[in-house]
Amino acid sequence: MAMLVSWEVTSGVARQFEIEAKRDGAKFIEAEHMLLALAADSDGDAAKLLGESGLDYGRLASALKEEHRRTLACAGMNAPNRELVTATELDSSLTFGTSAKTAIRRALLASRQDRPRRPRLRSTDLLAGILQAELGTVARALAIAEVDRAGLISRTGRSE
Amino acid sequence: MNPSPLGGPADGLAAASALRAIADRLEDVEVERAMRAGWSWSQVAEALGVTRQAVHKKHLRRLLLAQIELRRRFGE
Repeated sequence: MAMLVSWEVTSGVARQFEIEAKRDGAKFIEAEHMLLALAADSDGDAAKLLGESGLDYGRLASALKEEHRRTLACAGMNAPNRELVTATELDSSLTFGTSAKTAIRRALLASRQDRPRRPRLRSTDLLAGILQAELGTVARALAIAEVDRAGLISRTGRSE
Repeated sequence: MNPSPLGGPADGLAAASALRAIADRLEDVEVERAMRAGWSWSQVAEALGVTRQAVHKKHLRRLLLAQIELRRRFGE
């Protein structure tokens, strides 16, 4: 996506967004896929912050899986077998879904406040942008994992 | 008011969203299966309760990638 901003989020992490979305069988890259990608980049600042809160990739993935299970249980359903809902994959790149766009927009606003002339999107800005959603899949998964979302946001240097 | 992400309407809305995503993926799979089995665009559309044009627009690209023979059924 074209933006007048320098991305400090590496291209490897950006590629991982799509890998996580496809692994999930999703049609769009959503905030939870970006969060997993940030956690997977173990050398990145965002992953270090997450790790300090005990949130490594595996724990995040488990929390998201549990969120999905509980959500479907609310409607009296179990998650379907993957084979039953896996069609031929399109050859085009996935685009960002609403939750991902919202997280990026929040991250950009924060980075512009710091450096209005030459904003840089750091991985911790993106992490904060993802965590700032009070509702939705990520907020639900973090609540299930009993993670202090507000505390984690403040550790990124941002506020709720 | 800051609603909790868990419980109450948050659970119901999350379930609606999750079910919509599953239904969408299930439609992809079943349209592909029907077309492999020789169904026409019109038959698939009728079974789904949507227009033929809607099915065509949504699924053509994936069906071509899946190398499903469609030529004879384009005009239906």
